[in-house]
Amino acid sequence: MRILICGVGALGSTAVQYCRNLDAELRLVDFDRVEAKNLAAQWFVKQSLGKNKAEAVRLQLANFYGAKAEAMGVRLAATNAAQLLADCALAVDCFDNAESRLALAAAAKTANVPLVHAALAADGTFGLVRWDERFTPDREDREGQATCEGGEHLPMIGLVAATLSRSLQDFVRDGARDDYMISLSGVSRTS
Amino acid sequence: MAILNITYQGLSADYELELDFAASDEDIRRIAVEVVRSGGVRGLHVAQLPANAFDQFVVDRLRAADGAQRIYLRPKVPFGA
Repeated sequence: MRILICGVGALGSTAVQYCRNLDAELRLVDFDRVEAKNLAAQWFVKQSLGKNKAEAVRLQLANFYGAKAEAMGVRLAATNAAQLLADCALAVDCFDNAESRLALAAAAKTANVPLVHAALAADGTFGLVRWDERFTPDREDREGQATCEGGEHLPMIGLVAATLSRSLQDFVRDGARDDYMISLSGVSRTS
Repeated sequence: MAILNITYQGLSADYELELDFAASDEDIRRIAVEVVRSGGVRGLHVAQLPANAFDQFVVDRLRAADGAQRIYLRPKVPFGA
């Protein structure tokens, strides 16, 4: 089984780390590059600075764990979505904006590929893992709103990423599509 | 009968709600302010909760695995990567 992971920033890179033993091939998509500020809240090391994020995660998986993944250093768009989704049994949305989430959802629907979303609140107190049939992307309250870049939200990023990884594990095992809500109170299954 | 789940400042709690599902999102937000202020939501009592505390929150209406109707009042989650 091949899984497309879209966005390997805070949630995506951390989730991929937890998926390194998954019985699946990972295809990573991210056009962005690793900056020094990313080291606080994303699964990157200093040696990855300047590299494309998808490629950096691929290299870290290979170097640290001997795990293989495929890196696509591009921005997902209507023009390349079908290619990126080709041969994938599952797509994962870890994007950081509603437009990209909607573009991926449309492409996954067209390609008939199941899609699961992971998302975080700006204040780092809440997160969701939700399958596409029950998900509507939220927009920022205001453009340029502070994100989860600072290291202060790293524990919640880890919680949401771990929950997402567990959801992927369940899907790979038996096709389960469970939703989860993550707060400081704990993790609750909501479907 | 529905279960209203409210998440506020990282805490999350359920409240049993006698509610017509035609209730608007604004109704849900207003009711949530009242029940959180009153202490009716176990584990989530904020007596001085501002009236606009949930103005930017999202209302999700879902059906739980056991068939129960659930309403979630939660913060927006715009971020990921």
